[in-house]
Amino acid sequence: MSMITVRDLRKAFGSDSVLEGVTFSVEKGETVAVIGPSGAGKSTMLRCLINLESADSGEIRIEDQPLLDNGKYPDEKARRKICSKMGMVFQNFNLFPHLTVLQNLVLPPVNAKKYTRPQAEEKACALLKKVGLEGKEQSRPSELSGGQKQRVAIARALMMEPDVLLFDEPTSALDPQLTGEVLAVIRELAREHMTMIVVTHEMGFAREAADKVLFMGDHVIIEEGTPEEIFYHPKDPRITEFVSKIL
Amino acid sequence: MEALQQFWDGLVSQLSYLGKLGINMLPGLQYTVGLFAVTVLLSIPLGLCLALLRNSRIRVVKGLTGFYVWIMRGTPLLLQLFFFYYGLTFIPVVGPYLTMGRFQAACVTFVLNYAAYFCEIFRGGILSVESGQYEAAQVLGFTKWQTNLKIVFPQMLKVSLPSVSNECITLVKDTALITAIGVTEILYFAKSAVNRDVDVSAYAIAAIIYLIMTYGLTKLFNWLEKKFHY
Repeated sequence: MSMITVRDLRKAFGSDSVLEGVTFSVEKGETVAVIGPSGAGKSTMLRCLINLESADSGEIRIEDQPLLDNGKYPDEKARRKICSKMGMVFQNFNLFPHLTVLQNLVLPPVNAKKYTRPQAEEKACALLKKVGLEGKEQSRPSELSGGQKQRVAIARALMMEPDVLLFDEPTSALDPQLTGEVLAVIRELAREHMTMIVVTHEMGFAREAADKVLFMGDHVIIEEGTPEEIFYHPKDPRITEFVSKIL
Repeated sequence: MEALQQFWDGLVSQLSYLGKLGINMLPGLQYTVGLFAVTVLLSIPLGLCLALLRNSRIRVVKGLTGFYVWIMRGTPLLLQLFFFYYGLTFIPVVGPYLTMGRFQAACVTFVLNYAAYFCEIFRGGILSVESGQYEAAQVLGFTKWQTNLKIVFPQMLKVSLPSVSNECITLVKDTALITAIGVTEILYFAKSAVNRDVDVSAYAIAAIIYLIMTYGLTKLFNWLEKKFHY
């Protein structure tokens, strides 16, 4: 059983077609990098997986539960239940600015009655230590650097103990010298066999840390394969062109 | 020497007159402060509810609240005061049941009127919360109410606070309007004193009382703004 199965996913904003039949699957423990030129539909595809956008047709199964079955969505309760297995990290962090770092981490699991407050605080402190932000518990998001904010966001997503983590361009809003500290955390998660889908423009990261690379262009997945296959032996000339421009 | 004595006596009698005026006005304070407290306590929650309805996706609900806000902001508060105190009685059938005492009518009018203003202030505050906050809340499993209560309202409050402060200061001064329907608040006493003694000092005393109240409010809101800053 695959962790995520997507079949013939289609989505249009008005007359603008964004996804024109996207099909792929993600296995448990895999790190999948999604690369490709801007406007290819990478972010929209990711947002469809966690129900932030609704697709027009196709099929999405999360751990064999249908989030989208033949173009039809189940009721809200079922969607929430299915999506609760996934976490998401955004390009702009989306931390809650009025809460401290610790409160950002503690509030979601306490809301979901997953943990009591003391349990959540203990777990939060452990996760902050893991992402290298010990001692920042009482800071406000506005007092942190971009890289620190994104590491808090990753820790916050992990608080809900998701089976899958989705990253939507996690380093695109960061200064180049700050991307490294965020990528290091994601790499660490990959070593622990967290199932992840990472939409990224960091080719070095995709090449070294991903088990599988999906190349998206023109609203479909043009090719999927190992980093080796995509970066060094692509079959499609569009990939050759894209890779040569970037590497 | 005699002139100095005269000046001194005049000053003392003037001061004691002013002091007496001030003390005589104090009973009026209960209505001024009472109306202010009732209006703030009820119109802010009501305004918040209206703001949520105003941002509703259901068009009828959105339209109706928009209409309400238009009526309440689009007509003079004094006119509304007359309407609720003198006017309601004349409505056929239900009129007799809607008849209210002076202060009661004043409270109803002010709450309904200020709720419309707070609705628009809070609506702006809610719209200022970024869509990313809702998305983050959704993927972290927040329910709609948890999102509103714990994410949207606190951020809205910070944005709205300066406008709320402004509105509260306006409210202190607007309480003087209820003298027009005969509620014995501060301005009512001031006016009677001026007419009785043919001396405008009473107005100055009333002004000082209003200034003290608005000064206190300004300080309170400055403190709140600091507290909510992040």
